[in-house]
Amino acid sequence: MIKLNVNGRTIEVDAAPETALLWVLREHLGLTGTKYGCGAGQCGACTVHVDGEPTFSCLTPLESVADRAVTTIEGLSASGDHPLQRAWIAEQVPQCGYCQSGQIMRAAALLAANKRPSHDEIVEHMSTNLCRCGTYLRIARAIERAAQES
Amino acid sequence: MKSPAASLSRRRFLAAGSSLTFAVLAGGAVNVRRTLAQTTAAAVQTPVNAWVSIARDGFVTIRYGAAEMGQGVMTAIPMILAEELDADWSKVRVEPVTHDPATYGNPKTGGVLYTAGSTSVEGYFEIMRRAGAAARRVLIYSAAHHWSVPVAEVTTEPGKVIHARSGRQLAFGDVAALPRIVSEVPPIADGDLKPPTAYRLIGQRIPRLDIPAKTRGEAIYSIDIRVPGMAYAAVLRAPVEGEAAAVIDDAAARAVPGVLAISPLEEGVGVVAERWETALAARDALKVTWTRRSPFRTADSDADLARDAAAAADLGRPGTVWEARGDAPAVLRAAARIVEAEYATDHVYHAQMEPLAAVASVDEDGKGAEIWVGTQSQTVTLGVATQVLGTTPDRIRFHAVQMGGGFGRRTFFGRELLRDALILSRMVRRPVKLIWTREDDVRNGWFRPATAHKLRAALNPDGSVAAWHHRIACPSIFGFVAPQRLAAAGNRDLLIMEGTEIADYGIPNLLSEHLITERRARVSAWRGIGWGHNLYATESFIDELAHAAATDALTFRRRLLAGRSRALRVLEAVVAMSDYGRPAPGRAHGLSFGGYRASFGAAVAEISLDSASGEIRVHRFWAAIDPGLVIQPQNIVAQVEGGIVYGLSGLLRERITIKGGEVQESNFHDYSFLRMQDVPDIEVQVLRSDAAPGGAGEIGVPMTGAAVANAFHVLTGKRLRHMPFTPDRVRQVLSA
Repeated sequence: MIKLNVNGRTIEVDAAPETALLWVLREHLGLTGTKYGCGAGQCGACTVHVDGEPTFSCLTPLESVADRAVTTIEGLSASGDHPLQRAWIAEQVPQCGYCQSGQIMRAAALLAANKRPSHDEIVEHMSTNLCRCGTYLRIARAIERAAQES
Repeated sequence: MKSPAASLSRRRFLAAGSSLTFAVLAGGAVNVRRTLAQTTAAAVQTPVNAWVSIARDGFVTIRYGAAEMGQGVMTAIPMILAEELDADWSKVRVEPVTHDPATYGNPKTGGVLYTAGSTSVEGYFEIMRRAGAAARRVLIYSAAHHWSVPVAEVTTEPGKVIHARSGRQLAFGDVAALPRIVSEVPPIADGDLKPPTAYRLIGQRIPRLDIPAKTRGEAIYSIDIRVPGMAYAAVLRAPVEGEAAAVIDDAAARAVPGVLAISPLEEGVGVVAERWETALAARDALKVTWTRRSPFRTADSDADLARDAAAAADLGRPGTVWEARGDAPAVLRAAARIVEAEYATDHVYHAQMEPLAAVASVDEDGKGAEIWVGTQSQTVTLGVATQVLGTTPDRIRFHAVQMGGGFGRRTFFGRELLRDALILSRMVRRPVKLIWTREDDVRNGWFRPATAHKLRAALNPDGSVAAWHHRIACPSIFGFVAPQRLAAAGNRDLLIMEGTEIADYGIPNLLSEHLITERRARVSAWRGIGWGHNLYATESFIDELAHAAATDALTFRRRLLAGRSRALRVLEAVVAMSDYGRPAPGRAHGLSFGGYRASFGAAVAEISLDSASGEIRVHRFWAAIDPGLVIQPQNIVAQVEGGIVYGLSGLLRERITIKGGEVQESNFHDYSFLRMQDVPDIEVQVLRSDAAPGGAGEIGVPMTGAAVANAFHVLTGKRLRHMPFTPDRVRQVLSA
């Protein structure tokens, strides 16, 4: 059993130490808001925060996050109304929506470190994550909106 | 719906119940029933599938036949019904349908439940607005009866039926609870439908219903389904189409704790385990020797495209005629001046963000199942399930969950994926979630086929085009996914050929034909379908003709489009918004006319080039579209933006290569698409129109190819004849 802290709760997981955190979150814990896109650190759909740092959960072995704080989209805000989540709705960002948990988690880490990022800083930071529906322009606008409103 | 005529032929009063459902049948008749009625409902009604139901609490549930994959249909299509019903949108709930294409099928996709080609709003608009109007009429007649007033004095406001004269009103939910529902109402005539000036929802900025859950990680896709007792499956698939496992050494795989079953499947070996990570580990431990009998072993995407290019250029080889106007071959034979050009495109992969997944739970008796799968065709998917289990549709409890992107990938995929999930579930007698990893999906993708184009035109001395001949050589998509349909259509494959009509151009003699070549890869449609590769070729060629006629690209198009008001309107709009022809220093503008089916579009790309690296940078992109009546303006803009990004990504980067029958790419490191840092500023202008609504999902793609290629010609004097325009190819073109 490996102990980890997910969204503020301490949880014991019965999984092999090398299991990807992504599979633990999704299939063991039922936190399916974190998505599998490539399993190779290429798309960012699986982005979570580990001690506040945006992290590819697909490349993160379970044992490496023992006793560290993992935050998923489900734990980003108590009632799903983080400024970014509100901005995402205001800008009508998602289309298929599959990448958007990862996008929001990536963006939340940016805003936590830099309350007023420039447009270029947003583009640079967010280019880690892929969106096949092509919502990039709206993602950037939503981050700018959230930065202004928070 | 066993005998709708009988059940509709008499005036009928229904007893009180908890909700009303309305099925609007062919011809516009209304079939009304109450659910959970205490007295006679069962007696008066055969079970019907309904478009809308109204509950006592006032909530209106609207069903929609199109499948949600990010294009917004679960909002747009119910909005059309809600508009005519005069529903209070805050009290609308929506529900997807899975069965019964006879009732719910899209007339634009052959009457089945099939979502592709931007046909949803186009196909369901008339159905939904008539269903809404008919249901509203039942509410009005029922209220009028209750109040004993003439129906002509009764009207509606959102969510309410009103008798202004007496100051009385009833909420829709109260009408649903009236003791007597008048269900025999006159059919809806065209004049009974709202004029667009009376619309309260259509054309307004109505937020999409699916978006809040998608910001909280709460939206559920196939891959997210978890059901009690569920096991996990992975499939090791043969590296080449047509091969199967010859020898399976599964000793190491079976030794992995938690493995439940290992079994040969049609195209590989399935592994079922208690956990997903176990299924993956056991799959890695399999040692399989594959058969070596498949003709696809010799597939080579470069050589196969060269073969197709030769076929396209060989004018002695007739193709299947797609479009013929006048007598293009005769005019070309006699022409004084002929301009010719060749273009090609490579295989491209959909790269939808959600990998393929299906959950199947086969019943004890093996003759029924519960399935969870996001699909672009409920009808095709249901057909797979009934065929695999040898059963009837009523035995399949089908959850058509939303999709993490479709783009054509999820049209026929259920054949392999769902089939295997069902077989494995039946084998282990448990629900099974089968996931294809990203690598599985890339290597076993159903690609938009590589295409070879040969174009010829006869130019008159005045610069007009006397004749146009477009030959496309490539395999048929329908020949692969639905051979009977191709045969029934006389080998005419719309998924390849649509868009070659270039119907708005005043060209009196035109021939487009398809040389159907042997299929060397799994193929399917890709966002933009045939229009994607065809408009790249035709709009590039139009620029070449303009150049040959010593006319600028804009004037040349204006002349060819003379008298075509909708076409000219989008062209002039994009010229104005882009300040066409006056790019920033060091950049160039390229123009492309051309929409998608009933929707008109035109685009300008502004690009620059790093000639040392060969990298094209698209800085700005402008599009003007006229899609007819607009249901959701902000969503149309989003769809067109997304289509433009998809198209630009394809033309700049995307390419599947096949060697020895094996797909060489496997994940996003070697099949990459545009990131935020790569996308241009995009401006989309949607022109108001009273025309019937057309589609918006595809239109962004076809306008991109030629806009960029034509800008490249302005910049360099060279033509980009082979998509994608990767840096290595661009360097070759520059040095040629």
